[in-house]
Formats: sequence, structure tokens, C-alpha cells
Amino acid sequence: MDSHIIKLHKVNFYYGQTQALTDISMNFGQNRVTALIGPSGCGKSTLLRLLNRMNDLIDGTKVEGEILFEGRNIYAPNIDPVEIRRKVGMVFQKPNPFPKTIYNNISYGPKLTGVTVADMDSLVEQSLRQAVLWDEVKDILNKSAMNLSGGQQQRLCIARALAMKPDVLLMDEPTSALDPISTAKIEELIEELKKDYTIIIVTHNMQQAARISDETAFFYLGNLVEYNKTEKIFTNPDVKQTEDYITGRFG
Amino acid sequence: MRWRYLKQSVFFGLVSASALIITLVLGGIIFYIITNGYSVISLDFITKPPTDSMTKGGIMPAIIGTIYLTVGAIAIGLPFGIASAIYLTEYARQGKIVRIIKIGINCLAGVPSVVFGLFGLGFFVIFLKFGSSILAGSLTLGFLILPTIIGASEEALKSVPQTFREASLSLGVSKWQTIYRIVLPNALPGILTGSILGIGRAAGETAPIMFTAAAFFTAKLPSSIFDEVMALPYHIYVLATAGTNIEATRPIQFGTVLVLVGVVLGIDLIAIIIRGYMRRKKRW
Amino acid sequence: MTRRIKEIIIKYIFFLFALVSVIVLGLIVSSLFREGLPVFKSVSLKDFIFGMEWYPTYDPPSFGIFPLIFGSFIVTVFATVIAVPLGVLAAIYISEIAPQAIKESLKSVIELLAGLPSVVLGFFGMVIVAPWLQETFDLPTGLNIINASVILAIMAIPTISSISEDALYAVPNEFKEASYALGATKYETITKIILPAALSGISTAVMLGMARAIGETMVVLMVAGGAAAIPESIFDSVRPMPASIAAEMGETPYGSPHYHALFAIGMVLFFLTLMFNLIADYASHKFRQTGSATL
Repeated sequence: MDSHIIKLHKVNFYYGQTQALTDISMNFGQNRVTALIGPSGCGKSTLLRLLNRMNDLIDGTKVEGEILFEGRNIYAPNIDPVEIRRKVGMVFQKPNPFPKTIYNNISYGPKLTGVTVADMDSLVEQSLRQAVLWDEVKDILNKSAMNLSGGQQQRLCIARALAMKPDVLLMDEPTSALDPISTAKIEELIEELKKDYTIIIVTHNMQQAARISDETAFFYLGNLVEYNKTEKIFTNPDVKQTEDYITGRFG
Repeated sequence: MRWRYLKQSVFFGLVSASALIITLVLGGIIFYIITNGYSVISLDFITKPPTDSMTKGGIMPAIIGTIYLTVGAIAIGLPFGIASAIYLTEYARQGKIVRIIKIGINCLAGVPSVVFGLFGLGFFVIFLKFGSSILAGSLTLGFLILPTIIGASEEALKSVPQTFREASLSLGVSKWQTIYRIVLPNALPGILTGSILGIGRAAGETAPIMFTAAAFFTAKLPSSIFDEVMALPYHIYVLATAGTNIEATRPIQFGTVLVLVGVVLGIDLIAIIIRGYMRRKKRW
Repeated sequence: MTRRIKEIIIKYIFFLFALVSVIVLGLIVSSLFREGLPVFKSVSLKDFIFGMEWYPTYDPPSFGIFPLIFGSFIVTVFATVIAVPLGVLAAIYISEIAPQAIKESLKSVIELLAGLPSVVLGFFGMVIVAPWLQETFDLPTGLNIINASVILAIMAIPTISSISEDALYAVPNEFKEASYALGATKYETITKIILPAALSGISTAVMLGMARAIGETMVVLMVAGGAAAIPESIFDSVRPMPASIAAEMGETPYGSPHYHALFAIGMVLFFLTLMFNLIADYASHKFRQTGSATL
């Protein structure tokens, strides 16, 4: 049984003339939490956005190499990026709920993608429960999502992504805009979600990576420097550069 | 040191005076129009047609005509304008074709209104054989305000945060549905208020409709879009320059000017107020 | 697969809509040429542009539009001379000096001024400015160059002012702070730092204001007086190109040389304003302020 849900083989990525990622080959394990760390501009967010083809939205980008999701190359010409994004959900750096009601934020995706949902109410409830937000919002489902606090908004965004029942959840520094209490809640949530989902998370916060991830990949200047068990990376890294970064000597 | 501040005071004086002069000009014109025009305004003036070779009576057919032409111009300009802006902001990638389109829009915005009139005459009235009609006039005005509406719509679409689009696309919602469900509803208030300023322009233009739609005088109201109509701006021009008795119809002229200014500036003022309200209310 | 095809079709539908502006522009040019070029069967291009006599209804007619071009030129220049200082200074007031509340209302004032229909301003020039000019300076008519220029200036001010204000607003705040930090007064900061930095935007504003003035019809039709001759003083009447087109088109038989001549004037006017707009476009790119560096 192959337990790698996403496999990258010699991936290069360019913004115009600038190369942002060089020769990345790595695999992401199913139902694991993988953290991508590295200084700003190292390419970790770019890599994340390659996995659900969000970089398609930027003009003048170019991808080389292979990215296999469940065995299929997601950059093959006959692949519809919309299809990929339904299976690979994303949570963004800043909470970005739609200016709609809490309920409609959750039901938006399933409704429009033509998924036949027998019972939308229970899907909404289930998604909000998974994101540990249900108890806080169950009485205000028809209020605007913009009234929630930042931490609640971010959990709503996670619930919104979960409502699509994705296989993979990409998280792009999901707690960087949040206070410590909200951050703790989201971290607990990630621990919970990993039972059912594969999670790939970009983070600036090394303690966070150490706390929540099973594997950690360290990027520097568009290269994958080291990729290993989190424990190993944070206790006894193979590469000097990794050690310098995690001990705070640069970055 | 004192010299430096003296220069500054003189400069600030000049600058404030300029702002004051502009305000006074607008205020003066509006004040003058109101004081001279208000005594003519009555229910009859607005609801009755002109009589006695347009030296007496009301201006109802001109009001109706202006409404028809303006609604027609909106019906042309708004869909074309919003759709163009959607292409430019949501779909277009930087390249030669987009550059050509943008230059085209800029050039169109700079075409003098009388040239639009010639175009309407040469193309709609004569070439397409619409005759001088509501249809020809509306098309001409619609294309005249097209660049304004494109500009307003582009601005409104761009003000919708990119994160909304990303959130929707990341859920596996298609691009068109993202535009239709998320981008457009959030941009629509901005598109409409921005477009209203263009609509005010359509209602007040004279030169484009002189040869394409406007009648000197029609007793009856139009029965189809192929009929000529009277229009407020043209009515003012006709009465002020070519009427049967220019001095005797001065009050009617002032009344018509007041109605036109009331309509156009009323429309603009509503747009400005709504826009200010929306800016304060905006939450992203 | 069907959804992808649908998305592609939708994209191309919007593309076609976006092409409409270019198509209309093409139709404008072709209509002007189709109806305008036949005049050159009756008159050579050189005699048309440089001919001093505009007697389109005489027998034989004479189609020299130089006095009309000159008329357009002279009112535009004077209007610019009046409108540029007022418009630019008002923009400085709005963007640099005015308190917030006044700033907002002044912007609305300028927007409303821009919204005044041209026929209303023409009417105002006819019934207010003209009689006043006639009495004060003891003139045969108040419908003349100076009157038309003043009214055209009122029309051009909003264009000049609002675009200049955008340009001033776009000057990075760091520039101003750096200047104040060196002990410069507000006046010195405005004239030595902000104005030069905004120069490209302000020149664009001036060009667009001039384009607006040269193409404006109702004002020159109603208040310029209508004499198709080279003026000798600013109190003489002129007949700018748009006025000629608007005044004569109504009485011209379709297909006559006169009719074609009016379209040919439209061509001249079109290309003249196009030139102004292209220069404005060029100015806004050429001298573009390179913004503050980002870290």
C-alpha cells in the first residue's frame, strides 16, 4: 500500500524569469501533518499553492516536473484545476470569510459545485463541529460571518474547506494573524483533523511546527534543504543550515 | 525666516482662493438658475406639452423624451460596460490585445460629443436606416457613456479583495461562478454608483442627439423606438437660440434649465451620497 | 470536461464584449471617413485645411476651414490659461491643505461642476456673461472669444483638478516626511517636492482638459458668436469647428458637398482630440514617478 498521497518529482517553478523553486522532489504522507518551514521568500508558500494550482491565478508563471496527486499529474493538460481544488482544500494566512452569513459561508462550496447534499443543515453542523466552532455559532448561523472574531473567522474558514470533504488540507500560515489563545485552539484542531485528513502547513513559527507536525521540510532560497521526521529535524538535523535556522541563528 | 512664512501665506491664500472661486462659480450658477427658474415650475409646466409655437405651456414631451433616451443609453451602456470590465479585471492577462482594448477605451473616452453625433448620424441614422429616432439616439449616448461605465466598473471590481476570489476558487468553485456569486454581488453597489455619474452625463448631453434623435417640436409622445423625441437639453438650445421669440420665452428657458439641472445634479448628488455612505460602511 | 468548455465559452463571450469599445471606435473612424472623404472631390486637402474662406452655402461654395481651426485653437488656449492655475491650485488645496471635511465637500463640488450639462453652461454664458461683457466693454456683441473661453474653462476645471489631485495624492508620503524632517516649510515642500513629483500627472491633466475644451460643442455653439473669420481681438466672435458642425448639419441636404465637408471637419476634430489624448497618455507614462522602494 502506497501511503504517499502527493508526490513531487523534480519540480521547478518560475515567476516570469525568476526561479522560485528548484528541483523539488518530496512525498507527502497520507493522514500526516507536514510542516513547511524556512525564512521569508524561501518558496514554502509557493510550493503550497502549487499543490492546488492556486498559482495558476498569477500571470507569467511556469511549472516544470511532476506533481502527482493520488497518482495523477495535476499539471497534465487534461486535468481541470477546479476538480483538483475540490479535493485539496486551502486555509489562508488571513481569515477570509465571505461577506455572507455563517451558514452560507459553509454551504457556498457544496451548493455551487453541484455536490448533491441530502441534508445541507447537517453538513453545515458537521463541518462546524469538526472545526470546533459549532457551540459558539449555533445560535447565530444567519448572522454575518464578518461579526466573528479573527480566531472564529479562521475556524469558519477551516469549516468551509472541510464542507467540501477534501482529502488534503493546505494551510498557509493559518495562525499568523491570530492571538495566542486562538492559535492554541487551531493547533488543537489540527491535531484532531489529522485523523481524517492529510495536512500540509506552512508556518513561520518553529515551536508550532515542532508541536503539531509529524514531518518537517526546511526550505531555503527555493531549495528543499532537509526533509525528515519533525523530531529528528528539531533535535539532530543532518544539515548545518537547518540547525542554524531552527536555533535562530538566521532567518 | 519671516520671508519664508510670508511666501507661504501668500501661496496658501492663492490656493484657497482658487478653491473658493470654483465653489462660488458652481454656487453662483445654481443660485442664478434657481432664482430665475423656480417661478415657472408648476405641475402644469411639468405635465403639459408646449403651446402657441412653444411660447407657452409646459415641457412634458421633452422630459419624457429625455427619460426614454437616458433609459435607452443605460440599457446599452451598462451591460456592455460591466461585461467589458469583467473581462479586463477578471479574465484578461497582460498582453497586446488587452493593451489595444485599453487604448481603444481611452480614445473612445476622448471622442468629442459632436463627433459621436456625426457617428450616430452616419452610422445609425443613415447607414443602418434607423432614421432620427430614440433608437439611434440611445445607441449613440450608450456608446458615449461606455468608457465611464467601464472605468467605474473596473474600479469597483478591483476593490473586491483578491482573498474572496482565492477562497472561492480554493473550494473548487469555477471561475465564472466565483465571479457571479462572489465578485459581482460585492462590486455591484460600486458599479452602479459609479455608473450613475455616466448616466447623468447621458441625460444632459445635447450634441450627440441633435442629429440622431431630437425633434424641434412634436405634439405627440413617441409610440415606438423609431420615433423622434423632444429632449430637455435640445429644447433649451432651441428656445435660447432659434425659438420664435427668444426674449419672451426666457422664463420657459430658465424653467427648463432648472428641471434639467435638477435631474442631472440630483442624479449625481444621489450617487455621491450613496458612495460616501458605502465607503463608511465597508468592512473589508 | 463540459464545465471546462463552458468556462472557456464564457471567457470568450466577455472578450467579445470587451472588444465593443474598439469596434465602436473603428465604426466612428469609418463613418467619418465614409461621409467625410467625398468632400475632397470638391476641394483639395490643402485648400480645405488652409483655406481662409468658409462659405459652404455660396455658389460656388468655398470650403476653407482654417478660420474654424483657428477659432477652436484660440478659445482652447485661453480656456487653458484660465483653467490650469485654478484647477491645479484647487487640487493642491484639496490634497495638501484642506481639512478633511472641506476636502470631501470640495471634491463633491468639483464633481457636480463636471456634471453640469454643457447646454446649461452655454445658456449661462448667453444670458449672463454676454450681456455683462457687452455693457461693461461697450461691445457690439458679448458672444465672443473671451466669453467662450471663460465658460470652456469652467468645463475644463473639473477634469484638470481631479486628475491633478490624483497625481498629488500619489506622491509617496515618505517624500513629504523627508522634506519636513529637513526643516522645510509646507510651502517649500509643496513647490519643491510634491509638485515636481506629480508633474507627469498634472501634465496629463492639462492635456485632457484641453482635449475636453477643444471638443466641447454646446458652449462654443452658443457663446462664441459664430463668425467664421480670423479674429483681431479677444472681443471678436469666432466659429470653432464643433460649432460649425452642430449649427450647419441640421440645414444641410444629405449627400451634398457641404454635408461631406462637415464630416471632414469631424475627422479633423477627431484626430486633433486623439492627438491630445495620446500625448496625455504618453505624458503619464513617460514621466511616471517611480514610487517609493519597498523592502
